[in-house]
Amino acid sequence: MENYLPALDLAFHALSDPTRRAVLNRLMRGPAPVKELAAPFEMGLPSFMKHLRVLEDSGLIRSEKAGRVRTCRVETKQLAAAESWLSEQRTLWEARTDRLADYVENQMR
Amino acid sequence: MTAEHSELKISRLINAPPSKVWTAWTVREHFQKWWIPAPIECRVIKLDVRPGGGFETHMREGAGDFQPHVEGCFLDVVPEQRLVFTTVLAEGWRPTEPWLALTAIMTFTPEGQGTRYAARVLHKNAADSKKHDDMGFQDGWGTAIDQLSAVVARLP
Repeated sequence: MENYLPALDLAFHALSDPTRRAVLNRLMRGPAPVKELAAPFEMGLPSFMKHLRVLEDSGLIRSEKAGRVRTCRVETKQLAAAESWLSEQRTLWEARTDRLADYVENQMR
Repeated sequence: MTAEHSELKISRLINAPPSKVWTAWTVREHFQKWWIPAPIECRVIKLDVRPGGGFETHMREGAGDFQPHVEGCFLDVVPEQRLVFTTVLAEGWRPTEPWLALTAIMTFTPEGQGTRYAARVLHKNAADSKKHDDMGFQDGWGTAIDQLSAVVARLP
């Protein structure tokens, strides 16, 4: 009865880092070039690019290069999938717990 | 952060003493009545409430054979206080490959006249995933769970 989605492993790994979460938050307001995404962070570009690669491998973002500018944008479908899986698990357990409470309080002798 | 995205915490104040809630959880004839939502039927195969004891349920929707549902192992049992099971191990702590890897920690705490029942459900830090070609299955299942929840909410 349990369900699961492909590639959630990668999505949750991608979300497990504060820098990556900050980048994702920025991209949810709209696409942005790598330089702009990297600006708020005190790390070298190679380190930052590693974070972008994790995000891209997870399918949460994609990037395109036009000339010398690489622009990233969020892939909302994958993010929604990761969130919805956990929220469905929550729904399952909430309903199950409701049934336990109702059974104990109203039906059980 | 991984914990927030892979752990669920559920809590209820149940208007009954811990002993009664514990009985509902650990006695087959009671457990079968709430574990799975009606009209789906639950059959308990194993409910051996002791460390290493088997935990196994089957389910049936309509006519036909019962299908596997949950298979796992109890890890920790403190009567009327704490119950822990995992799907990552089968009876006797034997490693297994679960459909969905999880560990659930249930606590039963007296609160006023009732019981503070809490469940913490842990998944792999990176959420469990397997290949599944049909995204339609996921959407359909989510809808089914919503519908079931709505039906349950209307039960007297």
